[in-house]
Amino acid sequence: MWTSQPPESRQNRIMIEVRSLTKLYPGVIAVDNISFTVHRGEIVGFLGPNGAGKTTTMRILTCFIPPTVGAVRIAEKDVRTDGMAIRRLVGYLPESNPLYHEMRVREYIDFRAQLKGVAFRERSAAVGAALEKCGLGEVRDRIIGQLSKGYKQRVGLADAIVHNPELVILDEPTIGLDPNQVRHVRDVIRELGERRTVLLSTHILSEVEKMCGRVLIINRGKLVADGTPGSIVNKLTVTGRVRLDVRGSGADMKKAIESEANVKAVVWENHNDYHTFKIESKNGNDLRPDVFRCAAKHGWEVLELGLERVSLEDAFVELTVGSLVTDTRTKSTTEKQPTVPAPPSEAQRSS
Amino acid sequence: MTNYAALVRRELAVYFVSPMAYIILTAFLLVNGLFFGWSMDEFAARRSPVNYGWIQQWMVYLLTLIAPLITMRLIAEEKSRGTIETMMTAPVSEWQFVLAKFSAAFLFVAYLLLPTVCYAILAAKFGTVDFGAAAAGYVGMLIAVAAVLALGLCISATCANQITAGVLTLIASLALIIMPMIARVLPQGEVNAVFLGINWGVFVVALRGALHQMNLLGHMEAFSRGIVDFGALVYFLSVVGLFLFLTARIVESRRWR
Repeated sequence: MWTSQPPESRQNRIMIEVRSLTKLYPGVIAVDNISFTVHRGEIVGFLGPNGAGKTTTMRILTCFIPPTVGAVRIAEKDVRTDGMAIRRLVGYLPESNPLYHEMRVREYIDFRAQLKGVAFRERSAAVGAALEKCGLGEVRDRIIGQLSKGYKQRVGLADAIVHNPELVILDEPTIGLDPNQVRHVRDVIRELGERRTVLLSTHILSEVEKMCGRVLIINRGKLVADGTPGSIVNKLTVTGRVRLDVRGSGADMKKAIESEANVKAVVWENHNDYHTFKIESKNGNDLRPDVFRCAAKHGWEVLELGLERVSLEDAFVELTVGSLVTDTRTKSTTEKQPTVPAPPSEAQRSS
Repeated sequence: MTNYAALVRRELAVYFVSPMAYIILTAFLLVNGLFFGWSMDEFAARRSPVNYGWIQQWMVYLLTLIAPLITMRLIAEEKSRGTIETMMTAPVSEWQFVLAKFSAAFLFVAYLLLPTVCYAILAAKFGTVDFGAAAAGYVGMLIAVAAVLALGLCISATCANQITAGVLTLIASLALIIMPMIARVLPQGEVNAVFLGINWGVFVVALRGALHQMNLLGHMEAFSRGIVDFGALVYFLSVVGLFLFLTARIVESRRWR
């Protein structure tokens, strides 16, 4: 039932193009000069703490509200002038998943398909396919208001995909679902991503790592990271933080490590029968040989020595909360320059 | 066009899946039926011909008071539930949206009035009814009520809560009914009331004129006498047009903020 894309659009690889987008509300900068591009066929995760500007950005992309400054183009069409054409191309699931609770599932999806211009002859098939894809077959004749939250969320998802849109924008599609439902929604999204472009926002980082080829992290209206989950994590790992699990007398060992030439800071965690040290290097070099020599010299019982792996969650915290706290934290714990593609004004704004 | 039809169909369906439609229908027909029976008694007692126009005017008063119930949820509910976001991110224009809401409310009122046609038939059994005048009267009723519905729709668009919208519209409806009474209470003819060297009478005359013009029901009187008054037709259509225009702008106003 998926129609193939016309040849001219296949050449044109850019689906979303955002240039210096800014959205001001009275007294608030909701989105502050962000730029990014999404190519056709990508599944892009849009991350950020609550109030970072994700929903505002998505509302601008779906032509619900216009940008204050900047250019936003969806499939070569401008959101300011071509709103109606863009709305036909885009399937959108808003954050609160608003539905008409008095309607029946099938009736609602049929109504939405009609609004989105699905031709009468194709409609029944399109509605059936959307219901099937979202696992709504059993409840197609139930009243939406009486469905569980998981089913309601799927109704919203079915609405977003019923007209076979080229771009699907999902604002927190898995919020409030149980793990099985999350898995199902994730499968639907992954399947969509095989043929369509998907932009989804979420708080759940494991979800992003599993589904998205690319991640945009937004904080306080600014884009603070853009890349694959791996590349974002790597950028934060290069400063060479080393983790050492070791048995022995913690205080002595901390002193010994701190006395090493290249060590800048040591964080000590005392576990029951062993200690974990997180050691930061002065110049960004790999500290593993230094730490190994130090341990060998003192004859410590080393359990594990390795580079500290940063998870996407750590990266998220580093990029969003971390940049906030940098100024107030003591130098010994994090003197890491944020390796973030952000303008220098970022640090000033967040202070 | 398919959009508009789909929207109207949905709006009408909402009336009839909720108990609201049946409560309104029952209440309207009950009160109207009692009044009709009473007025027929009166006509018989006075041995006067059946004045169906008078009954129609009464129905307009009643509909003006019912209108808030019909219009209050139209847009306020979409705003409070957030469905306005799914609606306005689908290829639906503000105009389609507003016109569909208005059309559904209007069709509902037309449906409400349909059973009252049998009053005219019933009255004709026992006296003489000018069916031409009655038909013109129905045209007048429909466009007068259309104006009230447009006003109610506009108020619904400004509120995020349908109860607030309902109460405000009821106040507006009452004002529409009371205004001509105030106009009647004000001193008639030339007014001279000099105070602080200013003749305030001019203002009284202007206010009286304004209130008289705002008298929705007064404008439909000619219809119930069988005259399709072109001036009144233009008046009502402009009121409807104005409020629908304002409603569309209010729905659009999220884009200016």
